[in-house]
Amino acid sequence: MTLRRLNRRNVLQGGLGVAMGLTFMPYKTMAADEAKLNLYSWDSYFGEDTLGAFKTDTGVDVKIDLYGSNDELFAKLKAGNPGYDVVIPSANWVQRFAKANMIIQLDHAKIPNVKNYDPAFMNPEWDPGRKHSLAFVWGTYGIGYRKSKAKNGKPDSWKFLLDSPDYDGRISIQADQEYALGSALQYLGYSWNSTNKTELGKAKDLLIAAKKHIKLFAKDNGDSLLASGDVDICGEYSGDVLGQMRNDPTNDMDYILPKEGGNMWQDTMAIAKGAPHLANAYKYINWICDAKVNATLMDAIHYPTPNAAAKATMSDDYKTNPIIFPSAEQMKKVEQSIYLGEEATAAREDLWTAIQAA
Amino acid sequence: MDDWKDFKRVFLTLATPGSLWMLLFFAIPMAFLFVLSFSSKAVIDGEISTTAYDYMNTFQNYVESAGHNYLVLLWRAIWTSAIATALCLALAYPLAMAVCFAAPRWRPLLLLLLILPFWINLLIRTYAMYSIFRTTGVVNQAFGLVGLGPYEMLNNTYAVIMGLVYVYLPFMVLPLYSTIEKLDRSFLEASLDLGATQAKTFWLVTWPLTLPGVITGIILVYIPCLGTFLTSDILGGPNNWNIGNAIQNQFLESNNWPLGAALSFILMYVTFIALMVRAFLAKRSTGVDA
Amino acid sequence: MSAQLKPGQGPLDYARRPWIIALFALVLLFLYAPIASLIVFSFNVDKSGVWHGFTFMNYVKAWNNEQIFYALSNSITIALISTVFSTILGGMTALTLWRFRFPFKTAYEGFVALPIVVPEICMGIALSMFFNYSGLMAAVRDWVWPFNLINIIFAHIAFSFPFVAVVVRSRLVGFNRQLEEASKDLGATEFQTFINVLIPFMMPALVAGGLLAFTLSLDDFVITLFSSGPGSVTFPVKIYGMVKRGVDMQINAASTVLILVTLSATLIAMKLQAPAKSGH
Repeated sequence: MTLRRLNRRNVLQGGLGVAMGLTFMPYKTMAADEAKLNLYSWDSYFGEDTLGAFKTDTGVDVKIDLYGSNDELFAKLKAGNPGYDVVIPSANWVQRFAKANMIIQLDHAKIPNVKNYDPAFMNPEWDPGRKHSLAFVWGTYGIGYRKSKAKNGKPDSWKFLLDSPDYDGRISIQADQEYALGSALQYLGYSWNSTNKTELGKAKDLLIAAKKHIKLFAKDNGDSLLASGDVDICGEYSGDVLGQMRNDPTNDMDYILPKEGGNMWQDTMAIAKGAPHLANAYKYINWICDAKVNATLMDAIHYPTPNAAAKATMSDDYKTNPIIFPSAEQMKKVEQSIYLGEEATAAREDLWTAIQAA
Repeated sequence: MDDWKDFKRVFLTLATPGSLWMLLFFAIPMAFLFVLSFSSKAVIDGEISTTAYDYMNTFQNYVESAGHNYLVLLWRAIWTSAIATALCLALAYPLAMAVCFAAPRWRPLLLLLLILPFWINLLIRTYAMYSIFRTTGVVNQAFGLVGLGPYEMLNNTYAVIMGLVYVYLPFMVLPLYSTIEKLDRSFLEASLDLGATQAKTFWLVTWPLTLPGVITGIILVYIPCLGTFLTSDILGGPNNWNIGNAIQNQFLESNNWPLGAALSFILMYVTFIALMVRAFLAKRSTGVDA
Repeated sequence: MSAQLKPGQGPLDYARRPWIIALFALVLLFLYAPIASLIVFSFNVDKSGVWHGFTFMNYVKAWNNEQIFYALSNSITIALISTVFSTILGGMTALTLWRFRFPFKTAYEGFVALPIVVPEICMGIALSMFFNYSGLMAAVRDWVWPFNLINIIFAHIAFSFPFVAVVVRSRLVGFNRQLEEASKDLGATEFQTFINVLIPFMMPALVAGGLLAFTLSLDDFVITLFSSGPGSVTFPVKIYGMVKRGVDMQINAASTVLILVTLSATLIAMKLQAPAKSGH
């Protein structure tokens, strides 16, 4: 770090020289096979020293940029890869990225640590044989709530978010058609991924009716609103609510998967097409899959790991936490989002617009 | 006004850099989107592509943009922005007057005081505002001290308007400041000496003379307000999506760039119409050219 | 009317009217209360938004956070450079529109005002496509700092200079062109007249426009996001990536430092400029 800061100071001085000197043209710094890696990721997926440890282990310097949603990543890569190597798309998006030819086919031979994965994660329906992606972390989408504000027992159903006055004006749900429509469909007894017009129409009507009790459609910050007391119940990701629970001295928050099932998500590691540092990208992915590295990382970020070798070495505290690893019985009920194709996705987005305009 | 032919060199020196910049970093990029707004997603092997387009083959995007939902969202943007702009003007005018009529050595400092908050990132400022007015925030704690509340003040239309005023106030203050500053005080003195009241002087002298600044301020606030999405995202409730959110959504979540482009161009046309009406009215009434 | 005024208060002393002072104070409260809370919470021990105890740790962490350091220095560099160029370009455009009659002037005027009208996301995507197709994005990627930011700077100038032009133009409307003619009659060249007569007259509007450009550049998130490559992240883009998981108080700390730096820089600049300033 000091080294790079010094660099920047040198550059400032050098800049003076350039200004006074012969040319104003900037120059290329190094050849393409430099020890660098451009990582484009979500925030909070790193421990305090994860990237530092990678540099110590491999000598590769990581530049990291953050994005806040899959669509941001998609829009950015669609205009052309500006130079990212490793990206972290979510499960159903992997198909979309692969279809759009934005991520490359992985060569598993270059990732020997792939052997550490729990086999359950090696053949998902949205990426058969893991051709394009490897699991990074996973989790569930369910209900976060304040125990002191609970009415009519534990809010163990989507009903409390979508179809009940119990939490009037104190509800947030995810501002994303995938989750809003998905949970509404599930509550109505249909598939999370339904593309049936009648079913979707009913889900839309349910959400429009629910608007009078909902405080806001939260952009992935329902957990912080729950923590600050702005809402009493929210549709959120398990990892986010858990993060808030660990910071709460009053121990008033909890997370529960609805009896209708809930959703299981997964964020994956993939290599962007046109990655300028391909070898280092493989090096990084392989390094993350290392049992020890992975265990240290997961210990810091508290998301469920798909890495069996890493999980085996971790504390019982982590392994038996029902929020991190829900019961096998519950896991049978959760659904995963799949990529529905452009047409069906567009139809669902139209419904989302209609819900907002209603 | 000079004819450009009489001072060709001066004209070209002044006009070229801006025009070139606009051409390169605005017109050419926007031309891509203009083409896209008349295009549709390509169908390859019976499947709609995520990235490829069939260019210039349809008006469908404009037809869709004129649909009920988008008109509702557009109308929402039009009136919330109007209220926010009016509030900005009502607040900024006296403030700009105060700055301009303060002792000269205080002027820069007062102006700075009004501008400084805007050097903090918009997102951070909006969240900071959220943190004050939230259920457990300072304002509700103060209400709590006198036995009131807590009130739910956020995630509704009022909060969005308050947020817009908070974000765009300097866009009103600065142009007003730069016109009021050049106001010739002797006109005001003459009017007052001749027996006009302060109110009359303001209405008949100050206001007309500063109208160019007022109009500039209104343009600079109203137009960006129309397309905002962050303020309604953070401070709005379930009924505060507006056209800006819809455009954002089409470009990002929906991956429907043609529709997003069409919606953007419609928003631009609406603004153009507003500007033309403004120019027409100005020409007819006062002859002010701003 | 003047009978109602207190002794020592002139009819034009609007700055001393109680209601204007009260309004000023109220607006300042409205503007600064959130910022005060932001500063207070930069000393909070956690990021919950509820006061849990005092600490300096956020400052230490922010200082040692390479990401925040980079983002902040990128933002300030971009804002400074784009402000200078936007002010120059905006001033020139305003002069063109104010002084000359030329064919298609109304259309040109509308064209120059377009970036104010266009939704940010639209311009962002358009620029992103342009930079990628033209090869500028790839070309700039490995250039040494601050040249790797050049695409963002280009974009920022493009959306800020129209704002400057609009502000400067509204001031020029009231310019008395006889002053210009007088200057030329006295033997000054076109250029000398420009420097000695027009520029001083435009100054308040140039300052106002420059401040707007600086604000716009420091705040912009959408267009920057789409015109940036790896490692050229700015402060707003960085924040946007972080706030999804709740605002980290390191950001509050960094913002506090940013406001202190800009405040002291401005005050110093004002001090330095003060003797040269002529009275009204």
